[in-house]
Amino acid sequence: MRWWQMRKRDADLERELRADLELEEEEQRANGVPVEEARYAALRAFGNPAVIREQTHEAWGWATMERLMQDVRYAVRQLLRAPGFTVVTVLTLALGIGATTAIFTLVYDVMLRPLPFAQADRLVAIEEKVAEWSHIYPTLPVNANHFEFWMRNNRSLEALAVMQQGSVPLGANGRPQKVGVLWATPGIFSVLQAQPALGRAFTEAEAQEGHEHVAVLMDSVWREQFGADPGIVGKTIRLNGFPSTVVGVMPRSFHMPSVQTLASIGERNHVLPIDVILPQAFTKDQLAEDMGDFNYFGLGRLRAGVSVAAAAADLDALEHTIEASLAPDEKARLSVALTPLQEMLVGSNRKPLLMLLGAVAVLLLVGCANVTNLLLARASGRRQQVAVAAALGARGAELVRMAIRETAVLAAVGGGLGIALAAAIVPMMQRYLPPALNFRGTLHLDWTGAGCALLLAVVTTLLAGAAPAFVVCRTAPQEVLHSESRLASESRGSRRVRRILVGVEVAVSVALVLLTSMLTASLIKLMHVERGFTTGRTVTALVDLPRETYPDSEHRPPFYREVLERIGRLPGVEHAAMASILPLMGDGWSDLARVSGDTRPFTQLPLESFRAVSPEYFSTIGLRVMKGNVFTSSDWGKHVALVSEKTAVTLWPGKDAVGQQFSRGGSTSTDKPFTVIGVVADARTISLAKPDPMMIYVPYWYRCEPEAGLVVRTHQDPSEMGDAIRQVIWSVDRNVPVPSVRALGGVVADSVANQRFEMDLLLLFAASALFLAGLGVYGVVMYSVVQRSREIGLRMALGAQRASVYRLVLRDGMLPVTVGVGAGVGMAFASAGLLRSLLFEVSPYDPALTAGAIVVLLAVGAGACVLPARRAAAVEPMQALRTE
Amino acid sequence: MSSMEKETQQQRSSLLQGTLDMLILRTLLYGPAHGHQIGKHIQRTTNDFLQMQHGSLYPALHRLEKRGWVTSKWETAPDRNREFKYYRLTEKGKKQLVVEESQWKQMAEAVARVMWPAAEES
Repeated sequence: MRWWQMRKRDADLERELRADLELEEEEQRANGVPVEEARYAALRAFGNPAVIREQTHEAWGWATMERLMQDVRYAVRQLLRAPGFTVVTVLTLALGIGATTAIFTLVYDVMLRPLPFAQADRLVAIEEKVAEWSHIYPTLPVNANHFEFWMRNNRSLEALAVMQQGSVPLGANGRPQKVGVLWATPGIFSVLQAQPALGRAFTEAEAQEGHEHVAVLMDSVWREQFGADPGIVGKTIRLNGFPSTVVGVMPRSFHMPSVQTLASIGERNHVLPIDVILPQAFTKDQLAEDMGDFNYFGLGRLRAGVSVAAAAADLDALEHTIEASLAPDEKARLSVALTPLQEMLVGSNRKPLLMLLGAVAVLLLVGCANVTNLLLARASGRRQQVAVAAALGARGAELVRMAIRETAVLAAVGGGLGIALAAAIVPMMQRYLPPALNFRGTLHLDWTGAGCALLLAVVTTLLAGAAPAFVVCRTAPQEVLHSESRLASESRGSRRVRRILVGVEVAVSVALVLLTSMLTASLIKLMHVERGFTTGRTVTALVDLPRETYPDSEHRPPFYREVLERIGRLPGVEHAAMASILPLMGDGWSDLARVSGDTRPFTQLPLESFRAVSPEYFSTIGLRVMKGNVFTSSDWGKHVALVSEKTAVTLWPGKDAVGQQFSRGGSTSTDKPFTVIGVVADARTISLAKPDPMMIYVPYWYRCEPEAGLVVRTHQDPSEMGDAIRQVIWSVDRNVPVPSVRALGGVVADSVANQRFEMDLLLLFAASALFLAGLGVYGVVMYSVVQRSREIGLRMALGAQRASVYRLVLRDGMLPVTVGVGAGVGMAFASAGLLRSLLFEVSPYDPALTAGAIVVLLAVGAGACVLPARRAAAVEPMQALRTE
Repeated sequence: MSSMEKETQQQRSSLLQGTLDMLILRTLLYGPAHGHQIGKHIQRTTNDFLQMQHGSLYPALHRLEKRGWVTSKWETAPDRNREFKYYRLTEKGKKQLVVEESQWKQMAEAVARVMWPAAEES
């Protein structure tokens, strides 16, 4: 029987009974019974229709359903009678459940949702480790030579590929688009077990130098740029200036994570989604390089049944073989690091996410404690009613049902609203996904999330409803009924439970407030750390030169020289420069410096971060030159360099670095050595969180990559510079794609966007928890004041001063708060170890912050006690005593 | 209702519990009938011995319908210009009647053998 048929069925039954009853009545009349008595006679012969209906319902198997509906109706009626209580409770539950569900959805999406690839658990990210360099780079991307060796000799991987991510111009003949590109070896398709929906994947032969101008498009770019042309396969498009043949289009369901953010030396602050997959073709030089060019992100698919550890052991053995064949001056200890891809994608986001989940769970807990408190107060107020029911023979189970049905209705409504809330919040969290994981389309609340909300609602019902149900169960009817007081006083047990709950609320709130203040302090410190460079009135632009017209470091510098000259002539421009990598946009080219006279083997040479920059770079971003000079255009072609203070001190301890010479350790000996002409201050251009490693700045005419950044400092508001910069670039070459222009200050802010998001959420949670804790304290104290108004009246009648009444109430209310604060601080200190890695220059035991959190909680607690205390002090002794 | 009255009624209904279904099915063998007719028929045929409040028929009728032994339909009574809910025996109901009848017979014979052994021998 479906419930929506119940009403209809019941109406039908009623009609049937009425028809038959009328017939009986008629027959009674026909038998000579007087008209007015016929009706009663008929009823007597027939029986009570209400009872018959009930019995018939029983026959239909409705009874359980009916009782349930009755419970719901009853609960709803009761709740409507106390609208304030109902609204507060439902909103508390909705907030708690909604927020927890939203954060859970985020955490699930990032950490648990299987990646959208076949047997995704067999995908592993591969990195290399060079023991000699591990102090600077614990892991390195993969070297092409080593990759080829693994391809030929490994036994544990079913498929293996290496790749690099970047951007190139798409189109030609003026204003090309900039698209995200993945250069991958052909194995990528077997590794991911994904094949194009149209056409085919590229072949091994197409990944050879000279044959690599083929492309596989992603579905999105095929739709947006090529109008979903079904005949696209075989057509020629311009990529990087080269005519390239489209050989395939990936299916719509195929999504590729951004591997750029994963490589240990990668760019993290500027992620372009992948639009095109191109074959990665290695040159002979690259394949011959066995201890340099660690530049590729490795991805493998484990053979069935092979564990990550076994595969790592297999590759490690191959690494030892490679070690043995290294030239004597290149000796190094090599090994690999395999990480399940999912774990790799989550990376350092795991801890902050779990922290957020913990924080929101705390919020839910505080909300739950509040609801329990309110319910307990209600249950105490209803002891009389329960006692009457018990005295009339209601069984224990029925009493518990009575007690819990309101909670269940509250949780159902709260849970429903919570799901709605979560559904509204979740899409807003999209932009806070770690870039590596933001590749699976839009984030939305799904069945997992809804299931989580449902589970939370059930758990909440049980948690919040258990205590009142327990109190009800223990009600001894005679005791309650005998008590004269109409204002039934709260039982001691219930009172104790309520105080403990308040203590718990305060404890977790103080821990949350403390956590939030520490992370906030960290972020503020991070934002105000001495960066060593300035951001005011400065804009940046990322430029991609098409490789066809700018194949190497001889063709590219003249383009930049021309662009920089023209930008410099624009009105309002103070300085203009280019750099291979802009501040806080990642790390790039690491290399070894061999000081003249140093004969140590290659791998023992110091490792530095190199930047290729134009002369005005230092003045543009306010990077101070401590000694010597900056190179100028008149040095064009010369091998000169600037080094950071750290480099100077390390390479030439106790000597003046200016005038010294070094050569790139990894380069061939024919390369001319560099002469140091200046020393630059140390700064934080790679990450705000830590000082830069040793830096070496070489002129851009020495080396220039196709992807580089422009940085321009102006006299006036830089927001209008974007267009001017684009016009200048197009006036030099129409085939360079539109650069995206961002303020350098924005780049800095974006580098801490994740921390800021975490902090914003924590602030919100902490503020809510504080508010709820205050509400909890207020509720408990107010209730006890109302309960004790007679006692207070009596005290005052006996001469107690209002001040002492205040003291009485405050002492009563602040006891659980004080205990809670102590416990909370203890909790926070106990978990300090977990917190430390998330903090920046803030101790997890910071005394000022701890004191601050304690003061805040005590203030909230005291504030919540004042209102009830005032009410207590305002008790009119005569009135209080006369009540009853 | 006094407790005494309640008790006697309970006894009677418990007596009827097992047999009521069978009596209803048997009554419907004559053709479709509405609740009132079924009640009156059973009362009349037993010479008012089984004088139940025939309201108690309805739970039984609905139970039989749920089991698929009877079907129901609103129809106009031939003698009156009003609709009544008529119950009709199904094929499944007919089979059930046979089963219950034979069970009842066995039961009655068993009881009779205990109660009147002499009559059995003669």
